Amino acid sequence: METNTPQPAGTFEPRMVAFVCNWCTYTGADLAGTSRLTMEPNVRIVRLPCTGRIDPLFILKALERGADGVIVSGCHPGDCHYTSGNYHARRRFAVFHDLLQFLGFEEDRLTFSWVSASEGMKWKDIVDDAVARVRALGPFRGYDREAVAGSELAGRAA
Amino acid sequence: MKELQDLARTLLSDGTVQVVIGWEDGPTGARPVFVTSPEGADKLIFDTRCVHNLATFLSPRRSHVARLGKAAVVVKGCDARAVAMLLRESQIKREDIVLIGVRCGGVQKDPASKEPLTAATVADKCTGCDVREPHLADHVVGELPQAPPNDDARERFIEELSAMPASERWEFWQTAFARCVRCNACREVCPLCTCERCIVDKTQPRWIEPSAHPAAIMAWQITRAQHHAGRCSDCGECARVCPAGIPLDVLNREMARILQIRFDYTATDDPEAPAPLGAFRTDDGQEFIR
Amino acid sequence: MSETRFITTQALAELTAELLAAGTRVVAPAEAADGAVDYQVISNAKDVVLDERMPRRSLRGFFQPPTEQVFTWNRTDSGFSLKPVDLSTEPWVVLGARPCDAAGAAAIDAVMNGEPKDDLWMRRRETVTVIGLACAAMGPGCFCELVGKGPADTTGSDILLRPAQGGYIVEIVTPRGQAFVEAHSAKFTSTDAEVQAPPKRYDPAPMDRIEAWLEANFNDEFWQELSLRCLGCGTCTSICPTCYCFDIVDEPVGTSAGARRRNWDTCQVGLFTLHASGHNPRPEQTNRCRQRIMHKFYIYPHRHDILLCTGCGRCVVACPTGVNLPEILTGIAGRAGEDTTMGGPA
Repeated sequence: METNTPQPAGTFEPRMVAFVCNWCTYTGADLAGTSRLTMEPNVRIVRLPCTGRIDPLFILKALERGADGVIVSGCHPGDCHYTSGNYHARRRFAVFHDLLQFLGFEEDRLTFSWVSASEGMKWKDIVDDAVARVRALGPFRGYDREAVAGSELAGRAA
Repeated sequence: MKELQDLARTLLSDGTVQVVIGWEDGPTGARPVFVTSPEGADKLIFDTRCVHNLATFLSPRRSHVARLGKAAVVVKGCDARAVAMLLRESQIKREDIVLIGVRCGGVQKDPASKEPLTAATVADKCTGCDVREPHLADHVVGELPQAPPNDDARERFIEELSAMPASERWEFWQTAFARCVRCNACREVCPLCTCERCIVDKTQPRWIEPSAHPAAIMAWQITRAQHHAGRCSDCGECARVCPAGIPLDVLNREMARILQIRFDYTATDDPEAPAPLGAFRTDDGQEFIR
Repeated sequence: MSETRFITTQALAELTAELLAAGTRVVAPAEAADGAVDYQVISNAKDVVLDERMPRRSLRGFFQPPTEQVFTWNRTDSGFSLKPVDLSTEPWVVLGARPCDAAGAAAIDAVMNGEPKDDLWMRRRETVTVIGLACAAMGPGCFCELVGKGPADTTGSDILLRPAQGGYIVEIVTPRGQAFVEAHSAKFTSTDAEVQAPPKRYDPAPMDRIEAWLEANFNDEFWQELSLRCLGCGTCTSICPTCYCFDIVDEPVGTSAGARRRNWDTCQVGLFTLHASGHNPRPEQTNRCRQRIMHKFYIYPHRHDILLCTGCGRCVVACPTGVNLPEILTGIAGRAGEDTTMGGPA
């Protein structure tokens, strides 16, 4: 799938993962598709029943496995298909977001949003905006697996 | 500490409990002791070297302690917070334990220290203490000492960190975490690490690798902090035991601050207080959500 | 073979700078970011700290890093290709190894240099020159003498530096040490300086009697009492000079590549002996505490004639709940003395 803007050779293209809830954001993303909206192709969607199912470990694992940025999106508060899943998620993500901020993690790599089933346009905007921000930051190098830690001990990569 | 020793002697001789878990004078300072006979009650002490959070011995994972029988545990006000968490999470039953609260005016950073208690020697967790008289207790012993010397070094350090640009903060934590060898000592000493099978030990699937490379270390440290949010009693034992000197209690303290600011939640010794991540309000803040 | 020479503090610093300038990897005690002293790979001779402060962790991490790669794999058209880690190791130097740490690494050689030979460990041992630093003062936890070692023990050192006025008396211990001194002979002089040695703290414990008691008393209630305060944190094992137990993990990246790694492990956690069936032969902390003592003071000496403890005392200082090895050894020796069922000299 092409983007509107041609990419010069050698430009970094972020690889992004989106964890979205089935009932709202996934359907909203589908609406964006059926509406033939053009958006950045960098995002791979992982569908879950509810944002309440999303463990911060999913986000960490995505970053560890090569994602440069992550989007997490679900139903607006009050609209959760399971009544309160997104309320729990909201608290969990608030704490996680603040924790990452305290650690100095680049905030723009992680995007949280509420996108309903009818908000195809909003999904396109969220994706385009998130991809642009991560593109500006460059590849995520926080998880350098080649440098063995305790490098003070080992003195070099093992 | 005669009042404590007398109480322990009584509880043991009339069979109320089979063991009193308190502190004794060990070869290198104050250390936990398990008194199983009335005569042994003479060993019990309480002074500023009693840093340890004895609530950790109530964790169901300590089966070798549980087999001694019903326990009375000597707790400072802060230790009682950990007991409250264990009760809240149904890890122990209130009727299965006897809590001997001890009035406290602060403890040293170092259980071996014979120094007087000053701003330099006092443990970080003591600053601003509001539970010098323990609330969650069946008995309370001891005289109420004066408040601990105030040393807000940790608070100031957190403020300094928060004021740094993100990249500098990242550098600081990467350097600190680089010393982590994934020994899991922080997990093992913690009273609230009660999971029979820790997420790190699960291999199908493997969520967090056990290796000491930056990827796995980051996953562990973040997960540990997140899993403790709202549950940590700030006993500081994780930081004290870390063989690499990583300031884990700073991370835990920041989590507590986040919960205070966002949800007006403070860890207390009330077992009925709801867990902040188990509850919610329909008007919780969401400024970080687009 | 022992010859005695002298090196001034200044000359030692210059020697260190020369080694670094020649590209030699030098490990020495230095201050970490939090102010504590750790053995570290140093890049500047001025960073070396050779005072009374003991490095908080042992030298183990330099022979067996907390995580090290064994091999990597990649999927090919016809299967997988395995690439073992490159074992070639440039000669390197440890400067300022405490005698307990030098002896600790040497103790582990007995198991690593056996059959089969552990190349990951031995390649680093075979290429290192260990310049030991005798202790001018005993640390708060030190009990090297209790286990038959001492503040000026030469086991595992190629050269031993003994603090004296203005520098160090140099004791050459091995042919490699001899070669090192000859290669840098301009730095060394002769001396009649006096060695500064700390006063004796312990008499050696009766290790043979302790070993025999351990063999005969696997189920004694002593183990239950001792283990009560132990939280199984394993800090004792991670800072210990003689601990070497490890775990092997395969860490894939995607479905087509990955690495096999060797990580530090500890007998103090339940997972160490957990079987796939769910059965655990060491289900409680009591079993695990017992195992640590057994391994160090019975199993290992029984097999290799070397104690798996050099009395560095880090476990004594580091243990959050005051589990105390000298206390344990003295307790066992006391019980061994009373035990009339044991054989031994009349």
